[in-house]
Amino acid sequence: MLMVFLLPLVSCVISFLLTDRYAWVITLTAPLLQLISMIGALIVFFSLSAEPYTLALPWFHIGEFIFSANLQINAVSAIMLVVVTVVSFLVHVYSTGYMAGDENNRRYFAMLGFFTFSMLGIVLADNLLLIFVFWELVGFSSYMLIGHWNQKPAAVNAARKAFIFNRIGDAGFLIGLMIIWANAGTFELRNLLLQTEVFSWQTSATLCIFCGVIGKSAQFPLFTWLPDAMEGPTPVSALIHAATMVAAGVFLLSRIFALYTPEALDVVALIGIITAVLSALSALVQTDIKKILAYSTISQLGLMVTAIGAGAADAAMLHLFTHAFFKACLFLSAGAVIHVLHQAQQQTHTHFDVQDIRNLGGLRKKLPATFFAFALSGSALAGIPFFSGFVSKDAIFTGLWNWATMGTSWRWIVVVSAFLVSFITVLYTFRLVWFMFMGEEKSTQALDVTEAPLVMRLPIIILAVASLWFIITINPVDFNGWLFQILHPGKYFHFNLMAAVSASWVLLALGTAHRMYRTGKNFNVKIFQRAFYLDFIYQLLFEKPVLALASFTDRIDRHWIDGVLHSGVYAQVTLAHIIGWFDKWIIDGSVNAVAATSNGLGSFTRSFQGGKIQLYIFWSIFGLIIFLIWMLL
Amino acid sequence: MHAYLLSLIIFTPLLAALVALFIPARAGRYFRLVTLAASLIQLAILIIIFLQYQRGSGAIQLIEKQNWISLDLGSWGILKAEYFLGVDGLSLPLVALAVLVMLIATVSSWSIEKNVKGYFILFLILNCAIIGSFVALDFLLFYLFFEFMLLPMFFLIGIWGGPRREYASIKFFLYTLLGSILILIVMIGLYLSVNDPASSGQFVHSFNLVTMSDPTNFISFSVLDPNNPWSIGPLHARMWAFLLLFIGFGIKLPMVPLHTWLPDAHVEAPTPISVILAALLLKIGGYGLMRIAYPIFPEAAINFSWLVGLVGVVSIIYGALNAIASKDLKRLIAYSSVSHMGFVLLGLASLTTEGVAGSVYQMVSHGIISAMLFLLAGVLYDRTHDRLITNYSGLATKMKSYFAFVLIGFFASLGLPGFSGFIAEIMVFLGAFKSALLHESLAITATLGLVLGAGYYLWAIQRMFFGPFYFKGDATKILYDLTSREYLMLISLALITLGFGIYPQPLLDFINPFARHFAETVIATGQRLILTP
Amino acid sequence: MAPIDHFLYLSAFLFSAGIVVVIVKRNAIMVLLGIELMLNAANLNLVAFNILQPGLFTGHMFALFVIVVAVCEAAVGLAIVLRVYQHYQTSIPDEIQDLKE
Repeated sequence: MLMVFLLPLVSCVISFLLTDRYAWVITLTAPLLQLISMIGALIVFFSLSAEPYTLALPWFHIGEFIFSANLQINAVSAIMLVVVTVVSFLVHVYSTGYMAGDENNRRYFAMLGFFTFSMLGIVLADNLLLIFVFWELVGFSSYMLIGHWNQKPAAVNAARKAFIFNRIGDAGFLIGLMIIWANAGTFELRNLLLQTEVFSWQTSATLCIFCGVIGKSAQFPLFTWLPDAMEGPTPVSALIHAATMVAAGVFLLSRIFALYTPEALDVVALIGIITAVLSALSALVQTDIKKILAYSTISQLGLMVTAIGAGAADAAMLHLFTHAFFKACLFLSAGAVIHVLHQAQQQTHTHFDVQDIRNLGGLRKKLPATFFAFALSGSALAGIPFFSGFVSKDAIFTGLWNWATMGTSWRWIVVVSAFLVSFITVLYTFRLVWFMFMGEEKSTQALDVTEAPLVMRLPIIILAVASLWFIITINPVDFNGWLFQILHPGKYFHFNLMAAVSASWVLLALGTAHRMYRTGKNFNVKIFQRAFYLDFIYQLLFEKPVLALASFTDRIDRHWIDGVLHSGVYAQVTLAHIIGWFDKWIIDGSVNAVAATSNGLGSFTRSFQGGKIQLYIFWSIFGLIIFLIWMLL
Repeated sequence: MHAYLLSLIIFTPLLAALVALFIPARAGRYFRLVTLAASLIQLAILIIIFLQYQRGSGAIQLIEKQNWISLDLGSWGILKAEYFLGVDGLSLPLVALAVLVMLIATVSSWSIEKNVKGYFILFLILNCAIIGSFVALDFLLFYLFFEFMLLPMFFLIGIWGGPRREYASIKFFLYTLLGSILILIVMIGLYLSVNDPASSGQFVHSFNLVTMSDPTNFISFSVLDPNNPWSIGPLHARMWAFLLLFIGFGIKLPMVPLHTWLPDAHVEAPTPISVILAALLLKIGGYGLMRIAYPIFPEAAINFSWLVGLVGVVSIIYGALNAIASKDLKRLIAYSSVSHMGFVLLGLASLTTEGVAGSVYQMVSHGIISAMLFLLAGVLYDRTHDRLITNYSGLATKMKSYFAFVLIGFFASLGLPGFSGFIAEIMVFLGAFKSALLHESLAITATLGLVLGAGYYLWAIQRMFFGPFYFKGDATKILYDLTSREYLMLISLALITLGFGIYPQPLLDFINPFARHFAETVIATGQRLILTP
Repeated sequence: MAPIDHFLYLSAFLFSAGIVVVIVKRNAIMVLLGIELMLNAANLNLVAFNILQPGLFTGHMFALFVIVVAVCEAAVGLAIVLRVYQHYQTSIPDEIQDLKE
């Protein structure tokens, strides 16, 4: 298990230590190490016993408080382990083709390994603080990967935005940690989850931790970083969306699900459904391939979060599992399309935006394998029967239904919204498929397009196959398959009617989509396109005030604090001048006056003896006369 | 030999300065070698100290005690000052930090060209004074070393500094002198009020800090006697004394709003001096609070913990905001120092084991990280003599390994897990939130500092390192990548911060007993003093 | 016989004139002249007061003695003035400042 955990780190370190000359070695070692790690994960998964397995590792202690670095494997984390390592391995393989020739390959693979490592850390850690550590590290590696092409200003902006949005969420997470620490005095999940009593602080603590989830899993209102993050290399997007980043939030929610109080769960469900609806609407009108996929991820994540809020954490995990594969496949095949079009563009020196769906069309003839994979995984996303997405969505709907029947009426709004989201999902998925692969070729007509190399195609095909129903269950209409049994031992309530309703609902949506795109209709709603102006609002409400405040404090420093200091110094100097004047004119003056008097007196008396004989005579005679007069009178 | 380890580590640089005095000024190279030799000897002594030190205990160890001044003042009693040295879990990590940073700063001083002799002699004196003030346990001795730091620092900034060096050095000097005077006032008050318990008949006025920490040693009805009923204005004299010490050491720390000397001094000082200033001099402020203000006036510490915590949080946020507004790289780092030292105050104010341990950890960690950051800023300044962030762009492609270290430095400073800053900050947060003395909102507000911290660092990285390459300055300057000397310094610092970030236990082994003992004693003594009158 | 007063008045006038000449005149010869004038005023007094002792000629004798001394003094003085004039090209004492300060 430790091997599974550490191999990606080893890969990262190797990439970091190699010199640029041997950069090609990484393209071999990195996928290889991931492969071993994946095999290890599968072994762990299949040798899973009912009891969670814990690996006790000491970390540090302060006073009497002990912080351990324990790692734990239970059903949920074993599944995540598999998801993460499989997707990461495939992305590594894919990247060797996609990133071939990139001069910063070394850094790319190092960060890819580190990304996987951090995510595995979240999955395995049995200590909330340790989870937080890896949580932040995931943010860091996503920063590095999104901003990998750091010459592109948009990529850099997106990377910074991703990190800061995550940081905002993490600040909330940290507050949650503080609340837990102050009240429970431990971060060990074992101890925290085992307690049976429900305390009132749990609501605030878990809601604060949910802030972290909002940041990381791109929930409302912090979801706008995810579409921007599409500026990074496409395999990274696949990794972020499928396995390593946004999944972390959902995973964390289900990991600490027992801590959540009913009030907290209601908030979680509301935030989840708001996210799902808003982003589904946004996805409907975007024109960039990757952005559509990004919004669809947010929307699916919203559904998962809603499911957790509705108490169906296992259904959410199931959806996370299926979503990881089909979304990775979607991204990788979208990446393949972008990649081959780029290369074709470079050969013919034409230029248009290859990510804009309005420029694409009819690619099914030129890229049949990619089309096949994209269609397969797209169907899974849309939730068409016989695909994995249908099964897991069915689980979510069942969970929501159960939840709504138990509670107050507003919960039905959530359920209806969830159905609406699933409807819109079908619309935007097939809009994407249609614009990219069906219809007539547009700007791509002149290009000489061939399929992507095998290292890229193979992962796509594998993932496409994995988006069929059988990876989670044998019966395509009952989610209660082998995977769900691990998550939720025992017979779960299954609602056949729900499966039927959901299936017909999706098929209805499919029909609508078909009608709509046949006629070439396109949506164009400004408010959806700009994602409800959230970025604008952030800028107005946060970014600008912070910058204004910053320049204000700078002014305080320079003018007020330093001003006071300077005026103090000036006052002192002025005082010194006054005292100097006093010294010079009054004190020294009086001394000088004495000196001047004696000087004058001296020169006066000196004048009597100037060496002039006649003067001497005059004075002596004058004196004599005075003397005589004085004597006589 | 073992008995004089601490004296040796203090006076080795002074001895080296003496040796340097006799080398003719022409022989420029030898001054560096002498300084380096002194630092290496200190490192060796430090290792011996670590071997001698008993880790588990929170007591003061390796004590050296000699009579220093003993003056019979007749009916006034006896003035007694001792040459009293010792280390505990607070000072040992800081001494280790000081030795390490001094070594790094020596290596970084290799490029000094102007008046080498004067520079290195002042440098060695500074080294002596810093380590001395970390191990002195007699107030007078501490004060002596504390003041002694000012002089070399003043000249090092004022002579070897940047264009506005005179302004910066005078500002630094005035600020610090103000702080020193406040401390001096309290020192005199304490001297008048404390009686050595070993005295017979005649009062023995002692400067011994351990004696001062015991409230029973105060002379009845003296100024700072906890039991005297008078108050000066609205507060008891002891409260005033605490506030004076708080301001005095707070200037050094620095705390908002007494921090404006720091950006100027940092910006103008030469790189090695910036490193020392940020990594060591700031720590003396925190150290002074923990060693002097808190143990001697525990009830005032409890009483004013809201103030200390508030100032800490304000420093965190205010510093971060100012860093956002900075256009000068060194200024940005200087303000980030203000922000990070706010955590020291916050942790200290919490008076919980976690908080205090986090404070000490933060001091050590910030020492390492800020040293690294200033070295990084110095690298760029060496190349171009230009520190304006907006004058650079796309450096990532031009200076690859430099960029890697900048990433490490910046992310370590913004508290990324895996670096020592994270451990320190998380402990401070946990302690501050849990503390009964501080309102929860303080810790919650402080988390804003994390977000803002990410903001200014990432923005700086984005502006300087990403995008297309250009340099809007003197076009004749060449931006070459790190030299092996710079590489050596940076990698050692990076490894240390990484090591302490991943596995903090070795350092915590020293800090833990101290933090626990400190928090418990201050709370217990303080509560007793609050209740008795 | 004229009363003694008139002689005394004349003598006082002569003496005063001598003093004035000595003080006011810058030339050394004129100063010597002034001195002669004063000596003569004294002689006049000596002779005049001799009236008060008829039969005795002490005053006259003393006057004669004074005239002899005056002649010697004039001779020596004029000789000095002559030498000074030869040496300094001036006979005005004020302009001879070799000893001053």
